[in-house]
Amino acid sequence: MLRDHLSTTFSALADPTRRAILARLTSGETSVSELAAPFEMTAPAITKHLKVLEQAGLITRSRQAQWRPCQLNAAPLHEAADFIEHYRQFWEQSFDRLDAYLKTMQPPPITQKIPIAKKISPAYKEKKNGRKKR
Amino acid sequence: MDAKNANLAAEQEFIITRTFNALRLKVWQAWTEREQLMQWFGPKGFTMSYAKLDLRPGGVFHYGLRSANGQEMWGKWAFREIVAPKKLVLVSSFSDAQGGTIPATIIDNWPLEILSTTTFEERDGKTTVTLRWAPLNATEVQYQTFTKMHDSMRQGWGGTFEQLEAYLGKS
Repeated sequence: MLRDHLSTTFSALADPTRRAILARLTSGETSVSELAAPFEMTAPAITKHLKVLEQAGLITRSRQAQWRPCQLNAAPLHEAADFIEHYRQFWEQSFDRLDAYLKTMQPPPITQKIPIAKKISPAYKEKKNGRKKR
Repeated sequence: MDAKNANLAAEQEFIITRTFNALRLKVWQAWTEREQLMQWFGPKGFTMSYAKLDLRPGGVFHYGLRSANGQEMWGKWAFREIVAPKKLVLVSSFSDAQGGTIPATIIDNWPLEILSTTTFEERDGKTTVTLRWAPLNATEVQYQTFTKMHDSMRQGWGGTFEQLEAYLGKS
């Protein structure tokens, strides 16, 4: 169910607090109070964020221990990262290919000399403008 | 459009840019001629298996891309404004092989149409191409999916992404 996950995952990741919670969980399972400690937030506010993360499948909360530790679930993150990478690569790689293609098309030196001459010699410019008027 | 909506539109716009060591006319032609587009458009490993180009306002570029392992991708550009060799405004969307607009297949709530403005600027013999994308006629949910996804690309999830990336690398 890849497509169901993606938009939910992006929504969950849109919030900086939730991203910070996920980053914290990369070092292992943690209790809600430990998670709440770095934030100036009430426990209910943190619980609200945890619910969003849980619904997006980004974390799981154990029902065994009474303190219900939170655990990171990396699968949806992988999917989101893959999608972003895929999307970014479409244009990045097209640009690389266009760059390589243009190099095969490029007639060397001559075209480069004209703009330099324009810049360093005002006489060239005047001459050119003069020519234009006529 | 009032000021607030104009700001909102600007925020929801996504921009990428690249400078090519080539004159503007060359880049423009590579971008607007069928034979040339077929040489470069699409990610690495994909070849353009189908291309029909009608370069005029109201005209369409319909393309099919195919990877070595048979993966297919169809899309189209519907041209709105063509100012050779400076500016190209078009509506970009996914399509089927017949050219009909279809929703994105791997993500829900993605805008059906993206307004794409491409500008070509030449300086010292080099050409900078700037692509701007904004959702067109999108619902609120589609706008949000587009913006959140592009925010993720732009900010790399605000620094915490590095930590998550390291973690993802491990798992």
